Amino acid sequence: MLPRTALGLLAGLLFLGLSGCRAEGEFPDRPIFILCPWGAGGGTDRCSRQIAVLLEQDLGVNVNVINATGGQGVTGHSRGARARPDGYTMTMMTVELNMLHWRGLTDVTHESFVPLALFNRDAAALFVRADAPWQTLQELEGHIKTSPDTLKASGTSQGGIWHLALAGWYAAIGEDPARLSWLSSQGAAPSMTELLAGTVDVVACSLPEAAVQMAAGKVRCLGVMSPERVTPRFPDVPTFEEQGYDWSLGGWRALGVPRDTPEEILDVLVPALKRVVHTAEFREFMARQGFDWRYEDPKTARATLVHADRALGELIRSDAFASIRRARFGAMVYPSVLALAFGGVLAALVAKRGLKRTGSDRPTVKGWVHFAEGIGFVVLFILLVRPVGFLLTGGVLLGLLFWRLGVSHARATVLAALVVLPVYVVFHILLRVDLPRGLLGW
Amino acid sequence: MTGAVHAVLDPGVLMIIVLAAVYGVFIGAIPGLTATMAVALLVPVTFHLDPVHAIAAVVTLVACAIFAGDIPNTLLRIPGTPSSAAYTDDVHALVKRGLQERALGTCLVFSVAGGLVGAVVLMLFAQSLARLAALFGTVEYFWLYLLGLGSAVAASRGSPLRAALGLILGLALSTVGLSTAHGSERFTFGIAELYRGINFIPAMIGLFGLSEVLRNLLVLDRHPDGATARGSPDQDGGKLGKGLGSVFGLALSELWRRKRAALRSAGIGASVGMLPGAGADIAAWVSLGVSRRLSRDTHAGGGKCLSPEIAAPLSASRGTDPSQPPPDPLLEGVADATAANNSALAGAWVPTLVFGIPGDSVTALVIGILMMKDVMPGPDIFEREGGVLVYSVYLIFLLANLVLLPVGFLAIKAGAALVRVPHRILLPIILLFCVMGAYAVNSSYFDIGVMLAMGLLGFVLDQWRIPLGPVVLGIVLGAPLEERFIGTLNASEGSLLAFFERPQSLALGVLCLALWLSPVATAGWRRWRRA
Repeated sequence: MLPRTALGLLAGLLFLGLSGCRAEGEFPDRPIFILCPWGAGGGTDRCSRQIAVLLEQDLGVNVNVINATGGQGVTGHSRGARARPDGYTMTMMTVELNMLHWRGLTDVTHESFVPLALFNRDAAALFVRADAPWQTLQELEGHIKTSPDTLKASGTSQGGIWHLALAGWYAAIGEDPARLSWLSSQGAAPSMTELLAGTVDVVACSLPEAAVQMAAGKVRCLGVMSPERVTPRFPDVPTFEEQGYDWSLGGWRALGVPRDTPEEILDVLVPALKRVVHTAEFREFMARQGFDWRYEDPKTARATLVHADRALGELIRSDAFASIRRARFGAMVYPSVLALAFGGVLAALVAKRGLKRTGSDRPTVKGWVHFAEGIGFVVLFILLVRPVGFLLTGGVLLGLLFWRLGVSHARATVLAALVVLPVYVVFHILLRVDLPRGLLGW
Repeated sequence: MTGAVHAVLDPGVLMIIVLAAVYGVFIGAIPGLTATMAVALLVPVTFHLDPVHAIAAVVTLVACAIFAGDIPNTLLRIPGTPSSAAYTDDVHALVKRGLQERALGTCLVFSVAGGLVGAVVLMLFAQSLARLAALFGTVEYFWLYLLGLGSAVAASRGSPLRAALGLILGLALSTVGLSTAHGSERFTFGIAELYRGINFIPAMIGLFGLSEVLRNLLVLDRHPDGATARGSPDQDGGKLGKGLGSVFGLALSELWRRKRAALRSAGIGASVGMLPGAGADIAAWVSLGVSRRLSRDTHAGGGKCLSPEIAAPLSASRGTDPSQPPPDPLLEGVADATAANNSALAGAWVPTLVFGIPGDSVTALVIGILMMKDVMPGPDIFEREGGVLVYSVYLIFLLANLVLLPVGFLAIKAGAALVRVPHRILLPIILLFCVMGAYAVNSSYFDIGVMLAMGLLGFVLDQWRIPLGPVVLGIVLGAPLEERFIGTLNASEGSLLAFFERPQSLALGVLCLALWLSPVATAGWRRWRRA
């Protein structure tokens, strides 16, 4: 009885698989993923998710966001650049793409991508506490000139875009950027905490990132580093240029696909994104969030990226900037402290004979075989899941492991199918996790 | 206030709360899926809701997800968040004694209690707490992180030296990748995926979940049904049957008996949890540390912490009421920590509502949602329309926690059945969930590899009896600790005095040093007296 059920299920699975294995239809015929190099909840993530919703309505397939975070954007951008150029993996590119390769952190540049649409540029701005003595940039410059070593600033991590923006202004007014004391932080929000707590004097970040504190009257904006004022959201904030400084810098956000993506796929995605970016809903979203809305087609976007890349490259490679990257307490200070502590604790433990193995009974050879099979399951899963697909890999490996642990063939097959299918439904369909489709097309 | 009551008691809102509770419990119960992920998936839906509806969905979802994380934490030894990693081993030890329903019931009741107290704290003190939070700068965070790490060492069972070793190992693992303080790469060996460092979710799943699977596989041929792992149910577990009583009754009487401890823990949770960053994770550890300190005094008369095998009969002999199971130090610690991490959720809303600075990743998403509704979080929100929105948040917190009781109860009933599944079937399934959980965070195959490596590490550490909770906390707090440490040193040109310059940093620093040095000092004092 049971084996027959198992065979039936297997046949059913196979049928399902073959029916999914139809010829490649018109693009797109399956879910598209947007790789967001920044964490859930941040501005870039919110943009990605808004675009995903609208693109889904436009293209008629699911569009999901993956947060591939970390490494100051290295992870997401390099994963996006190395994705299969089939249009199903887009990357939400940010200005860090123009910075990371100059700092030698990755070989991925804007040339690794084809920009599809650039929809936002946010300029850097300078903020001080509401009770700070400086009302204008001139007054701040005066303070910097008289006591250059006292100003403390924050806004992003060391060497991040807002750090560059402020350091660039230092260079523009003839000060050595190395004299700027920059407190590395995880982003604009924690920097605002530092500013309010009085640990730093100045925060450099974009206007929308500080909008809440500005509206509450806690901080004051001294100027924005854009060619024109940011209307309609922040009409009262003067630009650097108005105050006599020829200095502008900012970030951008754009969607891109890997370089070798075929023309016919671009012909679908570019107009679709143009429609999405121009919807009233998206424009309202951008306005509400305080992001500067714009639309640049692939050609204009490329020009913007080339320009930003050159400007940031000059800044990062300049002597002035090289000096600020040599902080006095370098990258190995902390690991060295940890190594010392580790050695100390280990020595104390050994001296007190505190390191003893648990006295459980010795495992048998068969036990070790099971142990190895467990590890084999994970290793084989990593190796096989991409080429073979999730359902097949998961089902077969699970069935094999059940069987190796003493479950009969038939029951192992049924159980494996009963576990893998709901897992697939929950993770892939409900939670929209990108599970590989593999050989059979599912 | 009345406006808010009307807004919240709307049938639509109540329905959303119930639905979100079910969704939250479901997501939270699957290892590796986080509340943040669930909320992020919800964000596009909230665009079509009004602010109170949207907030109701998010608040309920998160409150329920964090409790549901206790289910795999208890039954499978896979913690859902770093804050629940604080008590993973304790709660799993209870399962091995057959007390899974009692343990989960305690988690549920104390979670709800913690959540309720957190909501009340938020209601009464949000603005004054926020003023306190505004005093925290780089140096204060440095001390706070050290305080959290110190609590992890103090709260771990067994030798504090071994806990310290685990902690330093975790901190060392956190240095892999691009350092946030310098933006330079370390220990990446040219592997691009390592630039972002070791993600704590796959690490946690590996350290706890996978290592447990591996250890059980190792003895599977001798104990095919996990006899060593779970033994026969204790008398009280069996005697009280399977009804509502076994889950709730005991936990409620436990709550009544320990009402002060619950209040204390929830208070710690809300006040530490409000600090942006790793507040909630630290809260659970601090609460557990305090709880353990106090219970050592009442149960074993101070000094060494007893292993559960000795401690349980010891406290049993002292119990007077035979129908009432004896107080159990393990259970008490779990109860306190879980109360703290639930009330910390409410705490995270303090800076969000008052300053518009997100307290955690979920409240960051909430700020985005509110801005879509043209609501600017910040001081104004308390005046807007008589503060309807703010009071609605408070009320929703209360309601969400009440809804959690029945929904959580059903989840416990469903989950507890897992324990009866034979190991040869259960272990492969857990293994698959470990793999899926590690993968789902970032859809990264590399993370599965990280999970595997951490699983082997966890297995080895278990063999040497080094606790894993501190390792996880080390991975989570390592980078922010370094950032604050290096930041302060660089700003002060290397002067250590900078760590004590401001009154608030001086106070925290002294407290922290006292915590770290007190065991050393007492040991020295004893030795000196004996000599």
